[in-house]
Amino acid sequence: MSAALRSFEAQWRARTADALQPVREQAMQRFLKLGLPTLRDETWRYTDLRSLAAQSFEAAPCETRGAVDPAASLSLVDADQHAATVSLINGCLPPNVEKTLINGIEISSIKRLSQSDPKLMARFFPPATDADQRRWVLLNTALFVDGLYLKITRQVTQPLVILHVSTGERAHEAAHPRIIIDAAPGSSATIIEHHVSHGDIAPLNNSNTHISLGMDAQLEHYRVYATGAGASHLDSLDIHQAHGSQCRQFTIALGGGLVRSSLEAHLNEPGASLDSYSLLVGHEDRHVDCVNIVTHAAPNTRSRQTARAIASDVSRVIFNSKVIVNAGAAGSDSQQSCRGLLLSPSAEIDTRPQLEIHADEVKCAHGATTGRLDPDMLFYLLSRGLDRETAQSLLVYAFLADVLTGMSVSSARAAIENALINQLPDSQILRKFR
Amino acid sequence: MLVISDLSARVAGKEILNGVNLEVNAGEVHAIMGPNGSGKSTLAQVLAGREDYEVTRGSVTFEGQDLLAMRAEERARAGLFLGFQYPVEIPGVNNVYLLKAALNAKRKAAGEPEVDAYEFLALIRQKMKFMQMSESFLTRGVNEGFSGGEKKRNEVLQMLVLEPKLAILDETDSGLDIDALKVVSTGVNSLRDPKRAVVLVTHYQRLLDYVIPDQVHVLSGGRIVKSGDKSLAQELERRGYDWVQGAQVA
Repeated sequence: MSAALRSFEAQWRARTADALQPVREQAMQRFLKLGLPTLRDETWRYTDLRSLAAQSFEAAPCETRGAVDPAASLSLVDADQHAATVSLINGCLPPNVEKTLINGIEISSIKRLSQSDPKLMARFFPPATDADQRRWVLLNTALFVDGLYLKITRQVTQPLVILHVSTGERAHEAAHPRIIIDAAPGSSATIIEHHVSHGDIAPLNNSNTHISLGMDAQLEHYRVYATGAGASHLDSLDIHQAHGSQCRQFTIALGGGLVRSSLEAHLNEPGASLDSYSLLVGHEDRHVDCVNIVTHAAPNTRSRQTARAIASDVSRVIFNSKVIVNAGAAGSDSQQSCRGLLLSPSAEIDTRPQLEIHADEVKCAHGATTGRLDPDMLFYLLSRGLDRETAQSLLVYAFLADVLTGMSVSSARAAIENALINQLPDSQILRKFR
Repeated sequence: MLVISDLSARVAGKEILNGVNLEVNAGEVHAIMGPNGSGKSTLAQVLAGREDYEVTRGSVTFEGQDLLAMRAEERARAGLFLGFQYPVEIPGVNNVYLLKAALNAKRKAAGEPEVDAYEFLALIRQKMKFMQMSESFLTRGVNEGFSGGEKKRNEVLQMLVLEPKLAILDETDSGLDIDALKVVSTGVNSLRDPKRAVVLVTHYQRLLDYVIPDQVHVLSGGRIVKSGDKSLAQELERRGYDWVQGAQVA
């Protein structure tokens, strides 16, 4: 058994039981049985966790040392949007969250709800089965301190920001943030999960978000990793969509030394539609591994995946996407588009769009290209007198446009654009294009 | 203004230009004609500074400066303009942004201040009207989704904004209907000036009905095999390129 596994088991034994104990117990047993993922696991073949497995982890503290610097987070929302922000420190809820209503979104503690409404929570915590392979989600279920349950019941115009603050006192701490977003039929909302770090030490952040969209519900969801180079993210997002629901999801990897970000979407009923956008930026020696699995489980469902990966210095960016069309899901319509841009000879981008189709009469397209800046485009700009740095920066900027223009929260777009630019070579020049 | 001596160049290891000699003076319009594969576009790209085209022999001076020692962007700022045969589409880079950046790069090199944003937009609108281009051009990406004709108009528009000393137009007439050809020709003629020169690279004679050249050259096998006045173009139209290629052998 690895040091990490032993330490997680020790944490498990040390905690006090709560209303979710049976589910947690099963999850922990399954996790211990499976162990940590290795390079032999198909979806982990690009991310080596051996050094992580050799560490012993402790539970991350629920408070920060000193006040969180507001400048450390991006200004994803403007004051005039009347957005509300809920901050989680290492996945722990702020004190006194019982049941609050913010801009029409009910916010509750998962722990409290599991006592007061066990039936509701059972929907989101099914017992672990032998088919369950998602080790980090199992570990999250076993060890999360408390989580946020958000119930959207109407059409909410103000964005809600969940600020995930990662902060540590010692090296080798781990946090397990848990979020449930439950959108009632016909409701709509914009939710932005914003991951930042405070201080030099950030715990291993093993977060999970579950999104459930009722009939005709609409959600625009962002997850933005803007932590420092010392932060590691193992973040999983599950989306379950009912009849006619629409989800627009943005995964933006700007920070973190290690980002492993997964998305599993289930288009369970006819008319469900998902637009997934990923902007994955690797620089210095960062490692960004993004895995999307979209399952068309019902007829006439639609999915679009647009990913743009940029790697500079000695960074590595991976984007693997898979579309599964179940038997009977005729009329499914899916597209996967992934483009990678290498900005240094030592950087690496791996992309692999995959299709698994068990139905007839489907429309599934996929494409992936990775390369350097287009020499024809570059020559065109140079031939107009632009200097080389400007021309290159302009093309990098243009490369990102496909994802950025999809964002309907303009303040988020501007802040993300700004943060992106800061990370790219020649940021001084890039700034001029805005 | 432009003196090309014994210029040879190769592309991907293949010898395309084979000792080109040409002199273009200020105030002149030259036409370079020739069959497909004769090296016309290669000559245009070499003059504009395309790096993957390797010059193996010869020299080129532009206003007395060694053109081949200059980078593409330096040539542009010095007043050389290439109108592309196949202008590339650059989604995400706005047309107006590119034009403004190009104009400012040139002004900066000349020690002039950057153009005022308001004046610049007025200038663009005026030139767009002249080129009969739609307003939507302002908000679109460089050549993005443009038809062949729109792309060529955009090349001429860029030329009019940048006011180069030497414009090299590579098959700017190809793919144009007669109305577009007239608009493009008017654009080129508006730039004719005792201080400027234009080199038209073309396969067909019809552009030369609208932009009357001072000299016509025939490029074949990577060399200029025949030069003459505008009547040479008419003769080529009548007799075909076999006639000069035959002359070369003889």
